[in-house]
This record gives sequence, C-alpha cells and structure tokens, in this order.
Amino acid sequence: MSRLWTHTRIAWPPVALLALVMAVAGCKPERSSEGPEPAYRVYRHAMDGAPSSLDPTHASNLYANFLAVNLFDTLYRYKYLARPYRLEANLADGLPQVSADGLIYTIRTKPGVHFIDDPAFPEGKGRAVRAEDFVFSIKRHFDPATRAQGAWLWQGRIVGLDEWKENGADYDEEVPGLRAVDDRTIQIQLISPFPQLTHTLAQGFAAVVPREAVQSYGQEFAVHPVGSGPYRLLSFNSAGAVLERNPRFRQEPFSLEAEGFDPDSQGGLGLEELADRVPPFADRIEVEFIAEDAARWNAFIAGEVDFIKVPVSQFDRVLASRDPPTLSPDLAERFRLNANLESGFVHTDFNMDDRQIGYHPDPDQQIRNRALRCAIIKAFDWPRRNEVFYYGIGEVFPGIIPPMTLEFDADQDRAPVLRDLEGARDLMSSHGWHAGNLPVLEYGFPSSVTERQMFEQFRSFMADIGYPQEKIRPLTYATYGDYARAYLNREVMLTTTGWTMDYPDAENTMQLFFGPNAAPGTNTANYNNEEFNRLYRASATMQASPMRTAMYRNMNRMVVDDCVTISGISRTLILLWRRELAMLPDRSFVGGFFLRFADPESAGGEAE
Amino acid sequence: MNAERRIWGQLRDDPAGLAGLVVVGLFLLVAMAVWLGLIGQDWSAADGARWETPGPDHWFGTNILGQDIFERAIYSVRTAFEIGLVVAVSSTLLGALLGALAGWYSHSWVDGAILWLKGVLDSIPFYLFVAAVAFALQGKGWAMHVAMIATFWTTTGRLVRAEVMKLKTREFVLAARTIGLPDALILGRHVLPNTIHILLVQASIAFVAAIKTEVILSFLGLGVQDGVSWGLMLAESTQEVLAGHFSNFLAASLMLFALLMGFNLLADALQDAFDPKQASQ
Repeated sequence: MSRLWTHTRIAWPPVALLALVMAVAGCKPERSSEGPEPAYRVYRHAMDGAPSSLDPTHASNLYANFLAVNLFDTLYRYKYLARPYRLEANLADGLPQVSADGLIYTIRTKPGVHFIDDPAFPEGKGRAVRAEDFVFSIKRHFDPATRAQGAWLWQGRIVGLDEWKENGADYDEEVPGLRAVDDRTIQIQLISPFPQLTHTLAQGFAAVVPREAVQSYGQEFAVHPVGSGPYRLLSFNSAGAVLERNPRFRQEPFSLEAEGFDPDSQGGLGLEELADRVPPFADRIEVEFIAEDAARWNAFIAGEVDFIKVPVSQFDRVLASRDPPTLSPDLAERFRLNANLESGFVHTDFNMDDRQIGYHPDPDQQIRNRALRCAIIKAFDWPRRNEVFYYGIGEVFPGIIPPMTLEFDADQDRAPVLRDLEGARDLMSSHGWHAGNLPVLEYGFPSSVTERQMFEQFRSFMADIGYPQEKIRPLTYATYGDYARAYLNREVMLTTTGWTMDYPDAENTMQLFFGPNAAPGTNTANYNNEEFNRLYRASATMQASPMRTAMYRNMNRMVVDDCVTISGISRTLILLWRRELAMLPDRSFVGGFFLRFADPESAGGEAE
Repeated sequence: MNAERRIWGQLRDDPAGLAGLVVVGLFLLVAMAVWLGLIGQDWSAADGARWETPGPDHWFGTNILGQDIFERAIYSVRTAFEIGLVVAVSSTLLGALLGALAGWYSHSWVDGAILWLKGVLDSIPFYLFVAAVAFALQGKGWAMHVAMIATFWTTTGRLVRAEVMKLKTREFVLAARTIGLPDALILGRHVLPNTIHILLVQASIAFVAAIKTEVILSFLGLGVQDGVSWGLMLAESTQEVLAGHFSNFLAASLMLFALLMGFNLLADALQDAFDPKQASQ
C-alpha cells in the first residue's frame, strides 16, 4: 500500500458532498481551489512509548513532550539543524532582553498568532495568543489542582510564584515576577540569576494554553488539547495519535541558514528542497505508540511507519560499520540513517547515605569505604558494557559532563573509565578488604530482562576482583515507579539510572550531585561535598563562560575522585527513516520540534 | 499380589510410563549433580564472547553477556526441581491435611470454612492470582513458592475430602472409632495412608504445574530473583530471537519440554497404576 495518496478529480456534486462531510468531521485537508491539487502528505512516526496526557503540565517524558511541542507553542525552540544545539525564537519575537543584573527577562511575542478554532472560544473561533496566556500557563504548574510535573523548573526562581501557590493559587492574583505587560510583552523577574531560564521556555512544560479551553474541558484537557502549535489533534488513544496541520499556523518560510544547516554533514537529505517553503510540511502526522521492539521493527520494515528508533537488537542487521555508523547496503536503498548521541548518560550511583559503602562517622571506615568504591569502579569494564548493551557505539566518558554538552572536556584523563583489576585488588587489600569482610552489595533494578542482564554483568565484573557472587544481590522491583520510590527513599545501595538532560548546559547534570538535592531530590547518590556545593552555587548563576566551564570541570573531578558514581556512557541512538522523507529527526533537544519540518516526499529517494 | 507389586508390574508394562520415569530420573540425576556442585556452577560467569555459536568450548553457545547457555540450562534443572519439589510436597501436604479435615468433619463448620476458602481461591483466575501474590511479595525469594502453594492445594484438598468421606464409612474406620481411638490417630494412621494414590498422582501433577508456572512467572519478571531458570532464559531469548540468535530459546524450551513430557508420561502411568479399575481388569 502506498503511504501517499492524492485526491483525484471527480464530478463536483460528490466533491461538494465529500467536502461537507469532511468539514463536519473536522478532518478536511486544506486545498487550493485553483490549479492542480497538491499531494496530501502523511508522515507516520513510530514511538517506543506513549504519553498518558497531552496537557503540557504533564509533559514530563519524551513522548508527552514530543506531542506537546507540536500541539502547542513554546516561546523558544532549538534550531532544527544547528549542532551544538542553539536556541531559536518560536512564539517569541526574538531572544529575551535581559537586564544587566540578569534578573529581569522581557520577551515580546509574535503578532497575529492564533489558537486553533475550538468550541471553547466564542463562536468557535480561536482568538489571538496573548502574553497573559503564557503567564496563565506557567501559573498552572504551581496550582496544586493541576498536579503538574514541571514546577521544579521554576521553583524558587521567579519572584512571588511560590508565594502565589502558598496563597491558594488564585489565577486572578498577580505574581510580581511573572507579568503580562501588554498583550505581547512578558516580563519575568528572577529571585537570583538563572541563565538557563530561556532553555526552560523551550520545553513542552512551558507551552502556552488558553485559559478558556482549560476551564471549559477541565480534566478532559489532557485529551482535548487546544493550542497554537503547527498541528492540531484529530484523535488520541493508547495506540496512537493523529495530528493534522494547523491551517492558521503562522507563515514563516523555512530558512536553511537560520536553522543552522551544515551542507557537509546534512547535505543529501533533501533539506535544500525545503528552503523558502512554509512549514509544517506534512498535512497529517500519524504517531503510533509501539512499545515492543519486535513489533515496532516489523511495522517499520513492512512500511507501516516511516520512522523508527532502531532497537539495539537490530543493530547487527542495520549497521554496516560502527565508526561512524553506516547503514547496510540493502537497507540503504530504502532508508536513511542518523546516529544521534543522546543528550544524557547512564550511570550507577553508590548510595553515599549507606554506611556500608558511603559516608561513615568513623573517618577510618570512611576512607576504607571510599577505597572499596574506587576498587569497584576500577573493576567495572566499560568497553564490555558498551559492547554488549550499546553495540559498542555508545560514548564512554569519565564523570558527569556528557559529550553532548559544550563543557565536555574531550582531553580529560580517561583513567577512571579504564579497567584496572590489579589496581582494584591492591586498593582493596591495602585497605583491609577481603572476601570475608566485604559488605553485601544490593544492586537495585526494575524487573526487566535488560536490567537483570546488566546486574549479572556487573556481578561478573566484580567476580574478577574476588567479590563473592553471593555478596552481590539483586534488589528487584516490579515497576520503575517502585524502583524510583525505593531509591528516592534511600533504600537502594547501588542505583542505575539514565538522565536525559533538560537543556544543553552541564548545570543540568551538576545538580544531580548537589548536596541539597539529595533524595528525594535528583541527587540519588546523596553526595554531599561542601566544596562541590559551593562551586555549584557560584556557577549556577553564571552565564556560560570559560570560567564557568572550568568550575564545572573542577566539580566533575571531585565526583570522580570521591568515587561516587560508576559513570558514564552516552548512548548512540540509531534513527532510520524512509529515503523519500526530507528530514533530520532528533531525539534530544530538538525532539518533537523537528516534526514541523518533516516533508514526506521532497527528498526524492528511490521508491520502494 | 500385594499393591506395590501390582503397581510396579503395571508401570513396567507401560513403555510410555517407563520412558517418563527414565527421563525424570535423568533430570533428577542432573539436578543432584548441580546440588552437589559437580556441574553447572559457572552459570553466571560471563567469560565468553557475545552470542557465540555452539562449539567445543560452549556446547549450546553463549548469550548476550557471553555466559555459557549449557551451564545455565543445566543449573536451571536444579531450579526447576527445587521449586517443583517444594511446591509439590507443600501443596500436597496442605491439600491432604485440609482435605482430610474437611472430609472427616464433613457438613460441619470446619468443612464449610475449608470449602469456602477453596471456593474463594478457585474463583480467582489462576495465573492472575499467582502473579498478584508474587507481585505483592516481590523481592522475597519465596514469593513464588507461596503463591503456588496457596493455589495448588485446592485440587488435592477436594479429592482427598471426597476420598475421606468415603473411607470414614468403611468398617476399619468404624472399628477404630468403636474402640475409642482419637480422631487424629484414625485420620493419620488409618485414613490418610489410604489416600496415598491420590497424593502421589497429585504431587506429580503439582510438580509439573509448579515448573510451568515458575517459567511463566520468571518470564514475566515475577519469578526467580537471584539465579537462573528456563523462564529467565526464555525471557532473555525474546530479544535474541529478534536478532537471529536461538540458542537460549532452544536450550530452555527443549529441556523444559523434555522434563514436562517425562513427568506427564510418568504421572499418567502412575494414575493408571493406582486406578483400582485398572487393577480389577
């Protein structure tokens, strides 16, 4: 079955009838009445998970965020093609004006932006987006009734916002630090400088929603989104979502230059053909939620979806080479590939709150515990972990500044991620550790095949330094939620988690080891180093600069030297899509924003 | 001809039953060898390459971690027998006890209470109940055992109850009562031994069911927590089969098939041998 279809010309009365029916059904594609009818472009996207809500206040995972930024507008987004990632104005009319002290951000929105037509508005016509809609949208995160998940982004940052919540979250009450100066001007006043603020405004959490729609639909707003994004929702259920081009979306021609196009690395993808055309390029987006790897892969190979994040189990079949990853010849005839280094990393933290392995009131024991942690880290075989679980194409690095960030130091000492069994054994014996007195290590993980295999591999690594098998025990949890609850309660000795960065700034990973963020906060290692904390506080209010980078790297060394975490690896994701599609998909910061630029038929690839 | 001779004679004349006995015996030997530490001790060592094909070093090849699949399959025999034995013995004893009490005190409140409990347990879909108990007790090594014992006793209990109700009207029981023997003694010494044919058959059925259930629960991540089993191997194989590696799947499923087939043949033969109707033919 062809994935594209076009309307054929037939007699007028049936056309009129069909148009009427489609208009009533709310799924009429926009058509010019003159000239040849353009192709109705459908793009079908496979996702490996499903969002439970389309309300931006619940856009806490990749899947919800992916849809939120297409159904709603955010003030900012990331440039489609620029690497490293750079911010671009979206609903905002340019980057914010920031006061000299870094405390006041003034943002103008674009004129003439409208919400989609919806019965929630008078006469069903979407009204213009106003600055106060943004204010309302951010306030919703602080309204307990919303049960929002994004408040942490702005908690303790904006003047009066936390107090507004404490005072009962009355939307008619003004927040001094979050104001609509006029219909198109937003002013945000910070308690202290927060250089990452603009990044937070590029997230689905910060999407702009109309108050009347939220009030009209109540809880139903989660499945009845009303926004001003490039697409509007046609249907949504546990199997998928269907989006249709928003005919009232602002007319902004696509500029290769503005989006950061690099002809050397991005040429040949058909992107050049898109220049000066007006996105969104697809008329209809069909997103299928297929969690099972085999089913997703089979759907892709059968041509039922146009895009897939390739399951690792298929890497052998898909890749002809690893460095750089290239597509096998038979697949290259039909598909294109993008090797996408993830914007985050996987790491295994020691629970520093556990006296058997972490901090101890007895200074001598504390030194011995550190030695044991360092020995475990030395015994960890990163190349093998990478080979087995990430097909050897993940990027292993020491510490907590992932390669995706500008602050990453490619020249840093790699010794902490090199296996040193002799060094590990020496460290253990010199600190009095032997098989008889080693503590029982409880390694937590949610019950799944891969997590169990990672545990077994960890145990086999430790066996090489004489850690008895029976002293490394699995602590399994039925769901990830149970697991998270346990490590947030500091009940797990060794916690393996993946962190996906919220914005391309290493501050976002530094906060994972900031003392006051200890569990139930994001610091699941419960690391508490006064010098680290001091540097974090000082750097958190600094704009990006060589000095701030040096501070981050210094903090990174502290985490490495204290042997707090077995870290880390950034996974390389293999993304495949049909050759006919002109697009460059992305799973990190651009994320769902790329969808408006996906053109189902401009690339001119060979037909299947 | 005494009963033992008759039963053995009947078993000996049943080639399928004998084959089952041989298969189960072989697996039992393997399980004992693993218990004694003679074989299968390197099941967790990951010293091979990823997904090695079967060869002299690794008879069944290796899995994604480089672990020897043969070692893991062999060690899983021990896991299967451990779970099978614990569940079969415990559930049969529990079923015998509760069934005997219900039968002996039939139509009393004791019988009512036991029947009510059995009815409640039987009304819940089996795998749903087992999964729920295993889920609730997850993290505990014996969660799966408890889940199975809690459900497997009911069939044994029902059969024993009926048998005891029949036996308690027999002359030897009436005689024991007449001379004033206490109920517990009559039940334990004279009635329950006469239900042994039911218990043996039920134990063999429970053994098979326990192994199957363990495989399913482990496959779902609710079974074996620390160790290896055919269920875990099958769960691993779901990802490997997709990538074209079948060793884990074949090793686990074929060994599971062989053991279950052996047990089923043996259980059928036992059932026939203990069946009084067969004896009278």
